[in-house]
Amino acid sequence: MPAQLEDPRFSGRVLELRGVAKRYPGVVALDRVDLTLDAGEVLGVAGENGAGKSTLISIVNGTVTPSSGEMFLRGQPHRFGNPRASGSAGIATVYQEQGLIPSLLVFENMFLGREARFARAGTLPVARMRRRAQAILDELGCSIDAAAHTGSLAFGDRQVVEIAKAFAAYELTGINPIILLDEPTSGLSEDETDVLLENIRNWRTRASFVFISHRLTHLFQVAGRIMVLKDGRHVGTVDAAATDEEHLHELIVGRKRDSEYYREALQLRPGSEVALRTDGLTMAGRFADVGISVRVGEIVGLAGVQGCGKTELVRALAGMERYDSGRLELLGRSLGSGRLDAAIRRGVAYIPAERLREGIIAENSVEFNLTLPRLSTLRAWPAGPLSLRRCIRLTASWIERLSIKTGGPRSPMRTMSGGNQQKVVFGKWLSGGVKVLLLDDPGRGLDVGAKEDIYELLRGLCADGVSIVLVSDNLPELIGLSHRIYTMRGGRVTNVIEAPRDGKPSEAAVVASMV
Amino acid sequence: MTTTAEERGSGVVRLLARARTGVLYPLVALGALVLWFSLASPYFFSTANFFNIGRGSAVLLLVALAGTVAILVGSIDLSVAGIVTLTGVVVAWFIDDLGLGLALLIALVVGAFVGLLNGLVVQLLRIPSFLVTLGMLSITMGVAAALNNNAPVHFRDPSLGQLVNGDVLGVPNVILFPLIVMAIMTFIVFRTKVGRHLYAIGGGEAVAKASGVAVERYKVGAFVASGLLCALAGIVITGQIGAGTLDVGGSLLLDSVAAVVMGGTALSGGIGGPHRTLLGVLVIAVLGNGMGMLGFTDFVQNIIKGAVIIAAVALSIDRQKYGIIK
Repeated sequence: MPAQLEDPRFSGRVLELRGVAKRYPGVVALDRVDLTLDAGEVLGVAGENGAGKSTLISIVNGTVTPSSGEMFLRGQPHRFGNPRASGSAGIATVYQEQGLIPSLLVFENMFLGREARFARAGTLPVARMRRRAQAILDELGCSIDAAAHTGSLAFGDRQVVEIAKAFAAYELTGINPIILLDEPTSGLSEDETDVLLENIRNWRTRASFVFISHRLTHLFQVAGRIMVLKDGRHVGTVDAAATDEEHLHELIVGRKRDSEYYREALQLRPGSEVALRTDGLTMAGRFADVGISVRVGEIVGLAGVQGCGKTELVRALAGMERYDSGRLELLGRSLGSGRLDAAIRRGVAYIPAERLREGIIAENSVEFNLTLPRLSTLRAWPAGPLSLRRCIRLTASWIERLSIKTGGPRSPMRTMSGGNQQKVVFGKWLSGGVKVLLLDDPGRGLDVGAKEDIYELLRGLCADGVSIVLVSDNLPELIGLSHRIYTMRGGRVTNVIEAPRDGKPSEAAVVASMV
Repeated sequence: MTTTAEERGSGVVRLLARARTGVLYPLVALGALVLWFSLASPYFFSTANFFNIGRGSAVLLLVALAGTVAILVGSIDLSVAGIVTLTGVVVAWFIDDLGLGLALLIALVVGAFVGLLNGLVVQLLRIPSFLVTLGMLSITMGVAAALNNNAPVHFRDPSLGQLVNGDVLGVPNVILFPLIVMAIMTFIVFRTKVGRHLYAIGGGEAVAKASGVAVERYKVGAFVASGLLCALAGIVITGQIGAGTLDVGGSLLLDSVAAVVMGGTALSGGIGGPHRTLLGVLVIAVLGNGMGMLGFTDFVQNIIKGAVIIAAVALSIDRQKYGIIK
């Protein structure tokens, strides 16, 4: 798909990597990877978590220095490890975690660090900067006000502002930007995604893109070539027009896609005993009069649009937040409001959506993180000091059981991929013998392979009699995994939908009760 | 992706940064100082002088250990000098009437109580610890001065002096004592549940909370521990001087925070430990001792010490940065 080029000078190879490798202690993040990017091209990058996609981007934008390899920008050798030089050479990165300062106005963010180009006699012509920014935004075809507070914009708009920032640099320097997009669609709704993909196609006349995504459909919609990484190695680059999702998926996971993605064949009938039950549970302003029950070995899904109260409900079940009235019963005995310690003691585990905030301490080791909730049981003798040998042994056994890829129990978490970090969070709770598992979007930011591992794990847990409450915005996942689905709207339960192995409801049937 | 110190530096810097245990910078600084003073003065490198350095740094080590506990959980205790002064005066005030044992007990209770106040105010009123403890510094200094109308408190009981200035097999008690305290603390932070929880709170408070760690209790507890350690320092200093005096705090605050950070305990919490603090304390103590021996005047010593602290902290803080840039 060659782009129509306005500027005859905007052609040829803009970026090339040769034999780029990055090694961390015990982990090879990237193993001699080559990459080429032509002017006006959108290069897709696919791969499981930990395949090295983010490392690749960080090497290109200079925030990570590779152990070996070469880089060329528009034919010229480019020195690694200098984010500033990469920035002034037109390389811009749009990260999952957004890189804008929310307290600044949109145009201030767009020209951040480049104000000097406007300065006159030591003052900034603010009105001119704003007009210039507005012109760029208008030209990009979006309806964002350059004078708006960045923090007040929707997630999708903020993402556009980040891209506009790269075009602002182009306006000022005349250097066609190379825009690195790290999972740009992961926080967007379907509509916003369509707009973004359409825009990227239009912007190719002036910019080149490297587009990382787990969503293969999105890659196919926008990329000309798709580069596949696996375990840090470059396993192939395919022409998007000449391949299909099935084939790409095989390359990514290195095996055929299971016809039973959600392991529905392993969905057993739950037991009759109720593990968790609520009655009239209410948190003022969040949810009201919620009555749900979860049986032993059952996966119960909570479906609803954002703000319907499902997230708060799960946090209240976990004891992370207080409920105001109603009754919460765990294996026949009531559990007070906000009693996190009691909940943990009685076998309730909560796996948060925000892994880096509430799930793991990245600076510390796998062993430190995995043993944290149950150090009392890892003492050398009662009330004595810890038995480091037992801590290490417990961790090593869970690294093996969950196939966690890491340098070892003492490796710091920060060197590991999101999927492996998530497995440590599971190990952290499973190692204590969990009875009720509360999951808030357990697949967030995980790739296909890591998700499949998690699904298989969940089925196994159910077979062992663990009860699971699942919150997910991914409806196919929710329907595929759950035995029953409670739908919520405006803080209230609107429906209970059975989802047995051979009678899964349609997405439409579930959505009907959500909106 | 994380940017690590290894990735930014080159050559020697990279080699140093790769020493993940992080004791290299203070060790190099210490080695350089020892070398310099040994060459410059014939009296420096001797057992007698090393004992001098140990005696001179006992109080600083105890206070720096107090600072380490608070900093480990991500707080900071700036009232240390005030608690040392107050408890030092309290011991002197009670020892003649109540005897050594009770006087020590009262000093420890006072130290723990001030720490408890610090912790409760921080937790209950949700005020940053540096503000609360700065206020407490002023309060404790004021109370200490008020006790005897701004005059030093003298006492006759010789037992405290005998305890502090005694020795075991030729090694002064005052050197052994803080080292034993440090060894116990190091064991606690690395080999017990309590220690792991302290690191977890400093490294990721939300994670610790979600894992069932009683975060509030630990944070209050850290201030109580800090108060207790300061009381120990106050007792030692009163024993060394032979009176409860008001001007002992002087440079303790700056020196102790500098020692903690130089040792490699990150101000953001969760990284480092008491054993590291010893190195920072030794750098400051050796520097002071050597400069005194070379006849530097007080004000020149202060200028050099300040410069060394800034340089050392600049170096040691850099290698703690990994993981923050995300």
